[in-house]
Amino acid sequence: MNTGFYIAQQVINAISLGSLYALVAIGLSMVFGILRMTNFAHGDMMMVGAFGTLVLGWLGLPFGLAFLGGIAIGAIAGVIVERTAYRPVRGSADVTLLLTSLAVTYILENLGILVFSSSPRNFPIPDWMNEALQFYDGQITFTQINVATIVLTAVSLGFLGWFVTRTDAGLGMRAAAEDLGAAQLVGLDVNKLIIVAFAIASGFAGLAGILWAAQSGIVEPDMGFTPLLKAFVAAIIGGFGSIAGALLGGYILGALEVFIVAFLPSEVSPYRDAIVFALLIAFLLFRPNGLLNRTQEVKL
Amino acid sequence: MRPEMRFAIGLALAAGLATSAYAADDTIKIGAPFNVTGALSSLDAPALNGAKLKLKEINDAGGVLGKKLELVIYDTKTDPTVIASVASQLINQDKVPVAFGFTDSDSVLALGPIFQQAGVPFITPGATSPKLPEQIGDQVFLACFGDNVQAAAGAEFVAGKLAGKNVYLLRDNSTEYTTLLAKYFEEAFTHNGGTIIGRDDYKSGDKTFTAQITKIKAGAKPDVVYVSAMPDDIGLIVKQMRQAGITQPIVGGDGYDTPLLTQVGGKASNDVYYSTHAYMAADSTPGIQKFYTDYKAAYGMDPENAFAALGYDTLGLIADAITRAGSTDPAKIRDAIAATDGFAGITGSITFPKDVRVPAKTVTMIGVKDEKLFLAGEVKPTFIPAP
Repeated sequence: MNTGFYIAQQVINAISLGSLYALVAIGLSMVFGILRMTNFAHGDMMMVGAFGTLVLGWLGLPFGLAFLGGIAIGAIAGVIVERTAYRPVRGSADVTLLLTSLAVTYILENLGILVFSSSPRNFPIPDWMNEALQFYDGQITFTQINVATIVLTAVSLGFLGWFVTRTDAGLGMRAAAEDLGAAQLVGLDVNKLIIVAFAIASGFAGLAGILWAAQSGIVEPDMGFTPLLKAFVAAIIGGFGSIAGALLGGYILGALEVFIVAFLPSEVSPYRDAIVFALLIAFLLFRPNGLLNRTQEVKL
Repeated sequence: MRPEMRFAIGLALAAGLATSAYAADDTIKIGAPFNVTGALSSLDAPALNGAKLKLKEINDAGGVLGKKLELVIYDTKTDPTVIASVASQLINQDKVPVAFGFTDSDSVLALGPIFQQAGVPFITPGATSPKLPEQIGDQVFLACFGDNVQAAAGAEFVAGKLAGKNVYLLRDNSTEYTTLLAKYFEEAFTHNGGTIIGRDDYKSGDKTFTAQITKIKAGAKPDVVYVSAMPDDIGLIVKQMRQAGITQPIVGGDGYDTPLLTQVGGKASNDVYYSTHAYMAADSTPGIQKFYTDYKAAYGMDPENAFAALGYDTLGLIADAITRAGSTDPAKIRDAIAATDGFAGITGSITFPKDVRVPAKTVTMIGVKDEKLFLAGEVKPTFIPAP
């Protein structure tokens, strides 16, 4: 394999992985932007979406419909969580919000264990998704899942971009993110906006969960934990609360993880996560607002 | 104190007293901590099911020393903090004279020291680190072969049946089991004249291994890829390797012995080989065959893997030791376990040589063809790396 192909292949690998991280990070960032709350249950919406698709598949729905259904189930679960768990504590101290979302995580995960048992399950996907596309005599390969992940991430981003700049609800969401109280004062229905934000964020999580499960071939109740952690890192690198930042952070993280393994000696591979988290600490110390979130927020 | 609080505490105390009074004399309690949930559930749950099957057999036949055996089961969730607290609970509250559990070294390392300190023997059905008994102490035993033995068997299998000279070594660097297995494999394989032409690491829980796989493709072509992996990851690794066009045999250890290998891997799992404790199939040895039918009758499914049989054997080993000890005193049971000589388990005969708490057993090599497992060989390795 020549160097050009090698680099090209690794870049493809990085974009594919980064897309998933970005998808999760955006939802996390959206909720944080409006409520100033780190929604730990975001990872569990991935689990809910993936299991939703699995169950709909068992019920006989074709994969495409089960896929869309899974996203919808993720979105609905997000709205239910907001309505029942987060709204009653809205405006409380940060630590209350944090603990509430942690509690929701535990409840959802254990609910998943109760219903589905904790053993990992196979996540069946249509054969064509497993197919590998080969170029240049198999020197460059990627699977249909990679293509689907990249395309669906791009489509979702397009939708989100259109939504927050062209629709009333989207503009309202941005206003709410700017200042929740002021948005309420000028007559915006904040409750509705927050529900919309949760529906979109959780729908994204559902989508990411299904793609994650499709890539890994496995669904299990605690499957949301690792991606949540990665999305958290991505969001901090990019700038917590900023959608563009989450996107950028996701791709940077994906690229870092792949390139550390790909272009550094094998002896360095074991330290991949250590390097990534060291970078996280560096960001928290020297650029706590991330790459794109320049303004220091001051609440009076 | 609020009255309802007082009531709740009273209730809890009463319940505690009630259970301990009940269990005073009529049964022999045996601790059974297992990771029924979490990353190791696909190995631990079958092991526990196998043990429950043996429990029923023993009790139906009249129990041990005229008493029925009772398993004190805890789900330790593949979580070291839960494991440590369960260990204390087993010792201090349940006061078990002996316990068994786990299929991985990390879990035993979390629990072992607490048992060691209390002087209560512990046998692991499936944790294969040969260092465990030395790391923890004289109360800890293995009912299975050590990783040095299975890695050596794998190395001889690669060099022999697969005629492999150059091996690429990929390992999960996040667990004791996978790093040790990789180390022993390298030692045995290079000792027998083979070459490791490349190596790389990943971390359990990763979902894309494409960076590592692309690297394998970029370098010199290996004859065989040895992947030291945990059960949750191997199906996916195999799938992604085949998708990227790596067609060479993939070889590994007993972490592969999970239904997920063929379920997740599908067609990609063909030409995968691994070392494990027994060949679980209807056409295996008579002991396994009987176990196979009984397991299916009890749980409505085939035994998932060899760990089911190991769980079954381990409880048998404990019952045998208690019988020979003639007592439920932990120290006497411990000595009886250490003196085990030729206990006929369905995964092979178990003997503990003097001062060695890892039995010497034959290694079963399993292969995958058309998404089905087949017996690829039985290996008793000639060179075994020191633990």
